[in-house]
Amino acid sequence: MNITEDIVREIILEVLREMEAGEQPAGSFKEGGTPLAIKEIGVARAGVAKNEVVIAVPPAFGTVMNKTIVGIPHQQVLREIIAGIEEEGLKARLVRIYRTADVAQISHEAAKLSGSGIGIGILSRGTTVIHQKDLKPLQNLELFSQSPLVDLEMFRAIGSNAAKYAKGESPRPLRVRNDPMARPRYQGLAALLHNKETQYVNPDKQAQEVTVQL
Amino acid sequence: MSDEQLSKMIERMAQTKGVNVSPELLKEAVKRVVTVLSESSMSAQAPAHKGLDPKRDYPLAQKRPDLVQTSTGLSLADITLDKVASGKIAFEDMKIRPETLEYQAQIAEACGRPQLANNIRRAAELTRLSDQRVLEVYESLRPYRSTKKEMLDIANELESKYQARICAALVREAAEVYEKRGRLRRE
Amino acid sequence: MSKRQKRFEVLAQRPVNKDGFIKEWMEVGLVAMDSPNDPAPGIKIQNGKVVELDGKLREKFDMIDLWIADHSIDTSIAEKAMAIDSTQFARMLVDINVPRAEIVRLSVGLTPAKILDVLNKMNVVELMMAMQKMRPRRTPSNQAHVTNLKDHPALLAADAAEAAFRGFTEEETTVGVGRYAPMNALSLLVGAQTGCPGVINQCAVEEALELSMGMRGLTAYAETVSVYGTEQVFVDGDDTPWSKAYLASAYASRGLKMRYTSGTGSEVQMGYADGKSMLYLEIRCVMLAKGVGVQGVQNGSISCIGVPGSVPSGIRAVLAENVATVLLDLEVASGNDQTFTHSPIRNTARMLMQFLPGTDLIVSGYSSVPNYDNMFAGSTHDCDDYDDWLVLQRDLQIDGGLHPVKEADVIAIRNKGARALQAVFKEVGLPPITDEEVEAVTYAHGSKDVPDRNVTEDLRAIEDFMKRGGNGVDAVRALVKHGFRDVAEAVLGILKQKISGDYLHTSAILKPNFDVLSAVNDLNDYQGPGTGYRLEGKRWEILKDIPQAISPEDI
Repeated sequence: MNITEDIVREIILEVLREMEAGEQPAGSFKEGGTPLAIKEIGVARAGVAKNEVVIAVPPAFGTVMNKTIVGIPHQQVLREIIAGIEEEGLKARLVRIYRTADVAQISHEAAKLSGSGIGIGILSRGTTVIHQKDLKPLQNLELFSQSPLVDLEMFRAIGSNAAKYAKGESPRPLRVRNDPMARPRYQGLAALLHNKETQYVNPDKQAQEVTVQL
Repeated sequence: MSDEQLSKMIERMAQTKGVNVSPELLKEAVKRVVTVLSESSMSAQAPAHKGLDPKRDYPLAQKRPDLVQTSTGLSLADITLDKVASGKIAFEDMKIRPETLEYQAQIAEACGRPQLANNIRRAAELTRLSDQRVLEVYESLRPYRSTKKEMLDIANELESKYQARICAALVREAAEVYEKRGRLRRE
Repeated sequence: MSKRQKRFEVLAQRPVNKDGFIKEWMEVGLVAMDSPNDPAPGIKIQNGKVVELDGKLREKFDMIDLWIADHSIDTSIAEKAMAIDSTQFARMLVDINVPRAEIVRLSVGLTPAKILDVLNKMNVVELMMAMQKMRPRRTPSNQAHVTNLKDHPALLAADAAEAAFRGFTEEETTVGVGRYAPMNALSLLVGAQTGCPGVINQCAVEEALELSMGMRGLTAYAETVSVYGTEQVFVDGDDTPWSKAYLASAYASRGLKMRYTSGTGSEVQMGYADGKSMLYLEIRCVMLAKGVGVQGVQNGSISCIGVPGSVPSGIRAVLAENVATVLLDLEVASGNDQTFTHSPIRNTARMLMQFLPGTDLIVSGYSSVPNYDNMFAGSTHDCDDYDDWLVLQRDLQIDGGLHPVKEADVIAIRNKGARALQAVFKEVGLPPITDEEVEAVTYAHGSKDVPDRNVTEDLRAIEDFMKRGGNGVDAVRALVKHGFRDVAEAVLGILKQKISGDYLHTSAILKPNFDVLSAVNDLNDYQGPGTGYRLEGKRWEILKDIPQAISPEDI
């Protein structure tokens, strides 16, 4: 049996139906959302500008998948992160990673491509890491591992904290959030979403520089 | 060697190796090692061919304290709170030594756990590496970190510099597998 | 439906219906323990070398197959062990007349698919019987999580002291903010030794950082050294079986106890399960660990429990993976350490699978703090469940590792833990812990009851401490200087464990006087009624004596 998008969608809808027995969980997966106006403009290069923060996204971000696990549109996610970076007077550069959909690898890749050495990786479901190129891949400056808890306000603060690291400051890390009940509600779904994401991974394709209309 | 010579040598070594303890402490430690080495070269090593008996000898700390010494030659009873508090004994004095690990490997073997024994024997070899080198070698063994040649060089270093034969074999095996499975550094 | 049936309306509001459930999706491996893509058992050996494993030829082996074939499987016994019918092997596991030693002798000859086949023949009661017989250490025990949202050091020390005092033999912390790690480790070290000398501590962070904290004597063991059942996920975890094997030896070379962590669901959670069942992949992890020679494994799905928890037979698979671990004579820290349900009924049912037979560490770990402070994203049980746990022990006459305590004693021990850490901070140049903070953490329920710290200052200071080469001996000296001689003696006792290496053996824990208890001198000898660990005598007197029970003399 081939795994088609339809099957995936069916399963997600099924999950949502079952979950809706409780309180309304995850925004509006059903509506599908609009893909981002995102354009690849060639292989991503390592930057030299000290005033940039690179944001890296996985293969399906903003194309096949358009919102986080709690339904925040990817367009708004990017808008907030970029605004956060810009309000600190720095520039954001966006790349898409194809060889992996792992948040640690993606964010580390972003940091290595970034002229400031600071990068942000965001998974389609919302899991986010601020990374620095000198750290080991599985270390991080800040990690937001519970994707259902990451909201727009946090995305903006993530952008501005990343920019502060890039300027050589030591910002106060974002206040950590924790919801013990996020796992029972969302983890099965997160696994499902991630398996969807990884179908688009291409281990041989280099990272691409992208532009986006927000 | 005079005390003064010894102090100077230790000071220099401490500086070049970036060791962050007072030369005085180092001097004490070196002296103890020298004493112990000269003593132990007289007394025979525990007979290696005759493995320890778990029932009779384990735990070593209680049943065979005679077999347990630190890398700088202290016995467990030597390490008292007062000596540590007064600085006579340093953190560096409290490290396990390869002979102790060999005894533990013999106990693991006698319990029917050859894999555990083998791991402890690799560990005995690694006691000879500095913390920093242990961490560096680990880093080099992670995926996409090293070329095949770099890995083989590490294996040779482990074998020739540290007499770490089992660890060297592990690294060589890894180099072959990484090559086959495309996990070497991509250049 | 325009009109709802009232009972269904009530049911819809029940906690269990807030949980996420997923139907099996075989193609990607969203299936607990029986996927059509799991291979059939089989082995071919030529000249002592495995040339075919579960239907796969050696040329096609991935890294994990290679490791298992060359390091885990005992080729001298494999053909004999593989020839035993799976149902027959499953029966041996529950047969009290087949001693543990005989099974351990044979199990190293089995392939992953064969172990899967054996476990698939067993229902949960049989799996519990197997656990009761096969766990390596005779005496069961329990582990605590000690964390908080603010990474507040004094609160960590107070909680670590209380947890040790209540009977946990291991304590695990992790971080909200990654760079706090060494400070959290230090806080646990001091707190745990205040609460009960001999309780060992760990700090779960990135592998290399975790090892370097152990080398400094800030931690006494490690557990979150993760392994995975498919090559892609293993590499995404930034390791290979060889780098992980080296790491295992690196820990032992510093005299540090360690175990691996794995668990059902991690591969599919990370998107590369290759369509295999979660249990099949987990058995590969356990076999890999066996071949490496680590003394034990933490499994039971762990941080991925929401995945097996959402599919049919998932909780049975979680027990089965614990059994796979002890089947191979490895210490099992058996999970139960992450929230997986809104339903208290489901939660207890899941926990009983390990609680009833007893494991090396039943919960790994039990949240000694309120779950909102649990930085592993919540455990199955937290500090508010202590009395339920104690009553369950009493109801069923089972040793779950905890004993009843008095409020006044807990207040005193929390206070002492915080003051001991205050002294250490003062001496090693970390930002001061104020008397107000000590007072707050002594009486706190959780981090909501304690003041915020200056995070940037804390982070800068702990970075400095590490750069200066700060270590466990610094803590010992500070404690002596400020009159905490007993705590200092205990911290020194922990450091000395790393000289003898006695606790490197399978399933080792330390008793309060630092005597080691492991599967060497406390080997499980269960062979039916009248054998094995029995909760009786002095220990039973302690456990049944809960303060809220009314005595006839009181009336």
